Amino acid sequence: MHSIRTALLVLCAAAAARAQAPAGGEIKVGGIFDLTGITSDVGKPFAQGVRDGVSWTNDNGGINGKKIRLVDVDYGYKIPEAVAAYKRMVGDDKVVMINGWGTGDTEGLKAQVNQDKIPYLSASFSGHLTDPSKTPYNFFVAPSYSDQLRAWLHWVKDDWKDKSRNPKVAFFYGDNAYGKAPIEAGRRYCKEIGVDLVDEQIVPGAFQDATTQLLNMKQKGADYAYINVTTTGVSTILRDAKKLGLATKFGSNPYGFSEALPQVAKEAAEGVTGVMPHVPFGEKVPGMKRLMEFHQKNHPQDTHDALYVRGWTYVLVWTEALKRADKAKALTGEGVKAALETFKDFDLGGLTEPVTYTPTDHRPSTKTPIYQVKGGKLAKVAEYEMPRKSEWLGL
Amino acid sequence: MEFFLQVLLNGLVVGSIYSLVALGFVIIFKSSGILNFAQGEFLLLGAYVFLAISSAHAPIGAALLLTFAFSAILGLVLERLVLRPLIGEPIISVIMVTLGLSSVLRAIVQGIWGTDTRPLPSVFSLDPIQLGPLPIARGYLYSAGCVAVLLVVLTLFFKYARPGIAMRATADSQQVALSMGISVRRIFALSWSIAAVVSAIGGILLATMRGGVDGSLAILGFKVLPAVIVGGLDSIGGAILGGLLIGVLENLSGGYLDPVFGGGVKEVAPFVALVLILMVRPYGLFGKVRIERV
Amino acid sequence: MRSGEFHTSYRADMAIFDTARARRVLAVFLVVLFAVPLVGSSYWLDVLNRAAIAVIAATGLNILTGFTGQISLGNAAFLAIGAYSTAYLATHGVPFFAVIPASGILAALAGMVFGVPSLRLKGLYLAMATLAAHFIVEFAVTHWDSVTGGVNGTSVPPPSVFGLALANDRALAFLILPACILTLWFAKNLFRTRVGKAFVAIRDQDISAEVMGVQVFRFKVLAFGVSSFYVGVAGSLLAYHARIISPENFPLSLAIDQLGMIIIGGLGSVLGSILGAIFLTLLPEVLRLLTSALSGQFPALVQLFAPLKLGVFGITIVLFLIFEPDGLAARFRRIRNYFRLYPFSY
Repeated sequence: MHSIRTALLVLCAAAAARAQAPAGGEIKVGGIFDLTGITSDVGKPFAQGVRDGVSWTNDNGGINGKKIRLVDVDYGYKIPEAVAAYKRMVGDDKVVMINGWGTGDTEGLKAQVNQDKIPYLSASFSGHLTDPSKTPYNFFVAPSYSDQLRAWLHWVKDDWKDKSRNPKVAFFYGDNAYGKAPIEAGRRYCKEIGVDLVDEQIVPGAFQDATTQLLNMKQKGADYAYINVTTTGVSTILRDAKKLGLATKFGSNPYGFSEALPQVAKEAAEGVTGVMPHVPFGEKVPGMKRLMEFHQKNHPQDTHDALYVRGWTYVLVWTEALKRADKAKALTGEGVKAALETFKDFDLGGLTEPVTYTPTDHRPSTKTPIYQVKGGKLAKVAEYEMPRKSEWLGL
Repeated sequence: MEFFLQVLLNGLVVGSIYSLVALGFVIIFKSSGILNFAQGEFLLLGAYVFLAISSAHAPIGAALLLTFAFSAILGLVLERLVLRPLIGEPIISVIMVTLGLSSVLRAIVQGIWGTDTRPLPSVFSLDPIQLGPLPIARGYLYSAGCVAVLLVVLTLFFKYARPGIAMRATADSQQVALSMGISVRRIFALSWSIAAVVSAIGGILLATMRGGVDGSLAILGFKVLPAVIVGGLDSIGGAILGGLLIGVLENLSGGYLDPVFGGGVKEVAPFVALVLILMVRPYGLFGKVRIERV
Repeated sequence: MRSGEFHTSYRADMAIFDTARARRVLAVFLVVLFAVPLVGSSYWLDVLNRAAIAVIAATGLNILTGFTGQISLGNAAFLAIGAYSTAYLATHGVPFFAVIPASGILAALAGMVFGVPSLRLKGLYLAMATLAAHFIVEFAVTHWDSVTGGVNGTSVPPPSVFGLALANDRALAFLILPACILTLWFAKNLFRTRVGKAFVAIRDQDISAEVMGVQVFRFKVLAFGVSSFYVGVAGSLLAYHARIISPENFPLSLAIDQLGMIIIGGLGSVLGSILGAIFLTLLPEVLRLLTSALSGQFPALVQLFAPLKLGVFGITIVLFLIFEPDGLAARFRRIRNYFRLYPFSY
């Protein structure tokens, strides 16, 4: 008994003592992605976008000559795995910053990230991450989920033609931190602009049948409904709604809405609106040129979507921050955070709105385009800019 | 009233698919006394294989037949390789081996096809048919019809066909069956094949209704356990009734209790029912009572 | 070859570490064990802590399933109860040396409640009942927002010793390792007492046990209680270790993992719990090392890591059940006995 246990532990100790030699002139950045979990339908293209962006950067001069090493991991949308990966990256790999993913784990790690002073750019646009007085090391590249929901509610108000009453809206969201993130902000904004929130329906993290939730919503007579899950879930809800013959107009958040949605939901996706802070792949904007070239050179057979574009924009933002921090000879966590906070209308070539961070406001932008599925394709129908209200910071 | 009827109808349709999967459980348990926790993965594999074959532009009929053949062979292979060596082992080992098997099968599916939802070509239009005041999707009607036909076929099989009678004999007493000249080994193999095929049908139906195939189909393996227990682990009629009951219970609690508790009741209600039934009638509504002797 | 063993009292014969040599080996081992947190890297300390917590949980499950024969799939639920009790009590300022036993007791109470069905149910049906218990507890945890924080989870303040917060793996190891050793010692001793022997009698043939005078129902519930106490303590340490807990920390696969641990390790053996827990904690780590080493040549491996983990776990269980049904402990004992009698082992 003792010999085996001792042997195993000696093995552990030996592995631990193995020196992790830092390669000179290399910058380590952590990547926590969901490639196999419940949000992998949007997690995979995002991860590919980040990887491609890093590849392209390394081929084009790196960070003032230094190469980036992306230490990436698939955490399967499980918070404990994300925490373990984080510990590994910060403790062993000594990364200087992390490109993260999900709301649950990002919000869970925010205290730790603050303590360890690791800038954390998450794919989660949760409004709870925008207030530097609470989460100074958290950033993201898009309007917050809350601002996006407000923009969509604004669209609802504009789209509603009947003057005799207010439009009735329902919220559909997942039973997790990501699903619940913008709901409180949405509730308050509905009251502000005169939209009646008549129903809130919760769906489990992974579900195949939303019929009972839709039937309940039908009883309340909602005219519009906002869905806050990912593409697979949105597709299920839309198809079930069509099967029930519902007349409700649906809208989705940026992780439920992309070019993939009409493909999965097919005719049920027709007419659905969505917030799209990043442009579809192939849109005619100056920033797309880089992506198209890389795509042609490396994997011309693959199809890409707005999530892929989103991954690229993240790399563009943090490589710029790394460059600025490196020039200021401050390539540490604090240095990178300070570099990010010098961003003023940093232009991303039209791939998304220009990014601004300040030491008191981590909301990069507040302008949200609204797209709609017309004939199986995505078309822009509106754009709303939310005011930068201080009482909305951190909500 | 309309709401109640709609929910009830949805419950019956979903329940019919549960009945099908429950049948798979019961067939295996009836003949070999094993509860196969990997049944959900049989469903999953059936759906994915169907997807793969039909994406290769094979006609639907051929795709179905090939999928059934695949499932039958899968059932045979698994029974021979994994369950045969465990005859006579304590029940915990058998439970664990089927759990291990379910992990392996799920891993294979994930490894080959990834976790994306793969769209299936639409077989039915999504527009509902009106049954009186209630809209019902064509796909649901079709699937309920399929399940009904299948259930009738299986019941007749077990009642009148020779292999079916042999399976019932083996379930009653293996030793007596052996002494009557029934090859018990072949019966085990047959039961696993049939169960795999039945699950594959369930998986294909579910996937066509949803319009896509993804890993979450395997959850049905656990969801149907309450149906199996409520009906009685060794009763075919019980499996059918249990599936329908659980489907209805799930949808009724989803419809009426979810808004009260803020979601999640739909998933947990079948398990509460499971606990209640286990306390009151552990062998289910139609199961055979096991008498233990020292 | 071991020789010169000569016991003159019953007490000496029944001792766990019966020879001087065994005691010496134990001392050396403990010294090495406590040296690891002082020199190890923070990642491997994390692995060590997780392994130790798994050992405690696996021992608890083994007491219930291996020694008393009650199959339970509800382990994750008891872990959750232990963890959330700790989160709640620790946030209210209770010191850790009170929190950990309290969480254990709360989990034990829950365990005894879920043990009541064991009066009427056996084998498969008990497994089903405990499975249902898991889902019911999961539902309760997810919806009792005021205490558990619901889906957002709740954070756990670190345990503090004389004002010093044990906030990282290195410091926590000095809490978790002694707790592990203590619980293992207690478990080993439990099965030398009347209570332990009653558990084993129930597993072997409970109707006969009842006839012989063992109050089966009372001891079954006690088994559930003791086992859940262990699992509750493991859950408590898990909460302190993870610092943030949410319902996602306690999926059904955790219970299945722990069942796998005791099956691979060996049912009905404390050594088996240790070996199985360490084996299944290290397996994904070894796999991760392999995939990261090979990911240079095969970049697709990063995406395959999750299914690989799942698949390897499943295959391991299946292979162990087919080829080594008595587990690692039995294999170890056979090897040890071979060497004990070497060169006369035949």
